[in-house]
Amino acid sequence: MSSSLLVAQGVQKTYVMGRVQLRVLRGCDLRVAPGEFVAIMGKSGSGKSTLLHILGALDVPQAGQVLFHDEPVFAPPGRRRFATSALDVLYGYERRRIRYRRFAFGFVFQFYHLLPELNVLENVLLARMVGASTFVWSRQRARARADTLAVLGHMGLAERLRHRPAELSGGERQRVAIARALVHKPQILFADEPTGNLDAAAGAELMSLIKGLHAEGQTIVMVTHDPTVAGQADRILRLEEGQLRQV
Amino acid sequence: MYKLFLTLRYLRKRRIAYFAIAAVLLCTAMVLIVMSVMGGFLDQLKFKARGLLGDIIVDNKSYSGFPLYEEFIADIAQWPEIQIATPVLYSFGLLRFQDTAQTHTVRVVGVRLEEVYEVNAFKHGLYYEKYYPGTTTLAEQQQPVIGVDLNAEPIELKDNKGEVIGRGARPLLPPPYEAALQKSWAAGVRDDETPPTEWTEICRDANIPIIVGEHEVDPLHPPALTGDPWPGLIIGRDIIAKRLADGTYKRYSMYPRGCIVTLTMIPTTGGGSVDTPIKQPFRYADDSRTGIYEIDSQHVYCDFALLQKLLHMDQAERVDPESGAVVGTVPARCSQIQIKIHESVGGRPVNVKAVAQRLQEHYLSYATNPRFKLSIGDTQLVEYVEAMTWEESQSHIIAPVEKERQLVTILFAIISLVAAVLVLCILYMIVLQKTRDIGIIKAIGGSSGGVALIFISYGAAVGIVGSTLGTVLGYYFVRYINPFQDWLTRVNPAWQVWDRSVYSFDEIPHTVRGHDMIAVIVAAIAASTLGSLLAAWRAGAMQPVEALRHE
Ligand SMILES: Nc1ncnc2c1ncn2[C@@H]1O[C@H](COP(=O)(O)OP(=O)(O)OP(=O)(O)O)[C@@H](O)[C@H]1O
Ligand SMILES: [Mg+2]
Repeated sequence: MSSSLLVAQGVQKTYVMGRVQLRVLRGCDLRVAPGEFVAIMGKSGSGKSTLLHILGALDVPQAGQVLFHDEPVFAPPGRRRFATSALDVLYGYERRRIRYRRFAFGFVFQFYHLLPELNVLENVLLARMVGASTFVWSRQRARARADTLAVLGHMGLAERLRHRPAELSGGERQRVAIARALVHKPQILFADEPTGNLDAAAGAELMSLIKGLHAEGQTIVMVTHDPTVAGQADRILRLEEGQLRQV
Repeated sequence: MYKLFLTLRYLRKRRIAYFAIAAVLLCTAMVLIVMSVMGGFLDQLKFKARGLLGDIIVDNKSYSGFPLYEEFIADIAQWPEIQIATPVLYSFGLLRFQDTAQTHTVRVVGVRLEEVYEVNAFKHGLYYEKYYPGTTTLAEQQQPVIGVDLNAEPIELKDNKGEVIGRGARPLLPPPYEAALQKSWAAGVRDDETPPTEWTEICRDANIPIIVGEHEVDPLHPPALTGDPWPGLIIGRDIIAKRLADGTYKRYSMYPRGCIVTLTMIPTTGGGSVDTPIKQPFRYADDSRTGIYEIDSQHVYCDFALLQKLLHMDQAERVDPESGAVVGTVPARCSQIQIKIHESVGGRPVNVKAVAQRLQEHYLSYATNPRFKLSIGDTQLVEYVEAMTWEESQSHIIAPVEKERQLVTILFAIISLVAAVLVLCILYMIVLQKTRDIGIIKAIGGSSGGVALIFISYGAAVGIVGSTLGTVLGYYFVRYINPFQDWLTRVNPAWQVWDRSVYSFDEIPHTVRGHDMIAVIVAAIAASTLGSLLAAWRAGAMQPVEALRHE
């Protein structure tokens, strides 16, 4: 079905710790249509973050495949051992994944993950810088800055540009993280429990922001364990025993 | 782009980077100081040796000397490469200043003064000759006594506050000396190497040329040349004057110019055995400074012909010991020939080594030349003659220093690896501390190479900043190393590191050479960049998710 933006097929992830094998994902299937807002729920430790990292091209599954615009994100299983070999980094799937991270995907983490040395503006701007060579940057700089200011304004952070992450509240930090994920206008926004560390009021505020994004046509894949948050999505999936089930 | 941005940010925000910079700084400064001092030492050694000897030295290393030098010098004077050649005699003697109990064992050098002036830099080290040009001579001379000019206007005498306390007759040197002084004064030659004395103050206040050096004074009579005429002697400056902490020399009024000194020497006979000691009075004509302590504290210079005669090394009749009949002549001998050669002949540079080789061959050919009727003993003396470039003749001093310098530089470079390892440790620590940040950068699209490059440029930046500051520190340390050492010595005499009698030169070399600086900076930057590689590799190889999960 070519109307899917992102397709996951039989994704498996097993963590091996000495003798113990932890089969976290045991064949997850998922289709995300353009403009769709999908929520993934599940118990703590069920593997929601792991799945989202794989979907967002941050992690590599042992088996299964993810297709973005029908293009495989991971090497065929036989070659996956070399997923991050130098050649792969230069020419192969790792290179492709870096391109996705830079230009196609935006990722909001469970624990904000901002760079403490940089202020709000720089944290967000960095996501644009990473994708640009020095030459390109010298020409894009003004536009990148304008985009950054626009996104931060949208997130209600116009007054906090020079603040460091440590000087912000949890809700503000999460909004900076969202701004960073959105600043390069990604095709899919991945959000890992964006409201998990916020109180009810801040959570609701953030959710209305996300709803607004969705209303503007942003494709969103969100992980949450809060039913009311999940309720705002078009579709809710549940991760149980390593597999995704429609609710 | 983000690499540079983050590098600069981390450099500024991570206080620990300053330790890495400090380590690089200290190592750079250390290596530069060592290279400069040892290198400067070597340069000075070479420079001074050359100034002392001339380009090529012909020598047979025998106290008895060697014959046929006049013939040799006449022969090679025809060679186009040869500028001038002069014979030199070396002997030992006991130097005694008249009216004192002071004696010194000295090395007596017999020279032809005019020729030595041309062959090497000897003239530039003379004191009185500089201020009284043309007055220094090794010929017989009397003592110049400062008198007063009874015809001239009296001059005002002032006390140390500048108040006039009386009037006195104008001091005046004997005519040739006075004329020479006027001449050098007019040419702008001023003595800044001797501490001022009462004399210099009087002359300065009276606005007349400042009388340089110590002289006998007779304030009641016109200037005069007094005493018996005796041959002149040039004395090593460290024998006759005292070196002060600031490098200037103080002369004593008890050793005025022209005072009598006596040399006692032991000649050897033609057969090489010791003859009866001879005693010869001289007049102190001048003092010489080569800058090499061993020489300035031991050498005295007198006329070549005179010394030759005193040592019985001049031409003599050969007497048959049994019959007492004259059977021939014993040729005159010298200890060394110093030769100055032209830098180029017909536009082509002269190969000094090749000329030395030819000179030696030429000299050795005398041994079998029927033109000279040499005795067996004299033939032996000729056969041992060698011609060497000044470098070869000093190689026993220069070569070990050269090796020493290499060794010490290598040792310090190895020590400097410590700085590289420190950079490695500190960067590795930063990578570990920043694991989560690295994960973030990778998660938003940073490539492995890009992340690695952040840390490589971090290492390079540490190297650049550290080595630049280190070079500046090293440069100024070397520049002011002598005042620093003087200060140390003043605080505690035991802290005197540089001993003139050990290192020959009275000053620690204090010039930093440009290529040394560049080499040290390049090496430091290379070392710290190298030190950052491991950390960079680790940072680059991190998986984003693993790094993000890092607590
Ligand atoms: N690198 C790893 N090595 C070993 N085990 C891991 C690793 N990463 C995750 N796990 C394990 O995999 C399981 C799933 O982890 P994950 O973070 O995906 O859970 P989650 O559903 O996001 O939980 P939460 O709701 O608490 O965030 C957990 O039991 C975790 O301990
Ligand atoms: Mg999670």
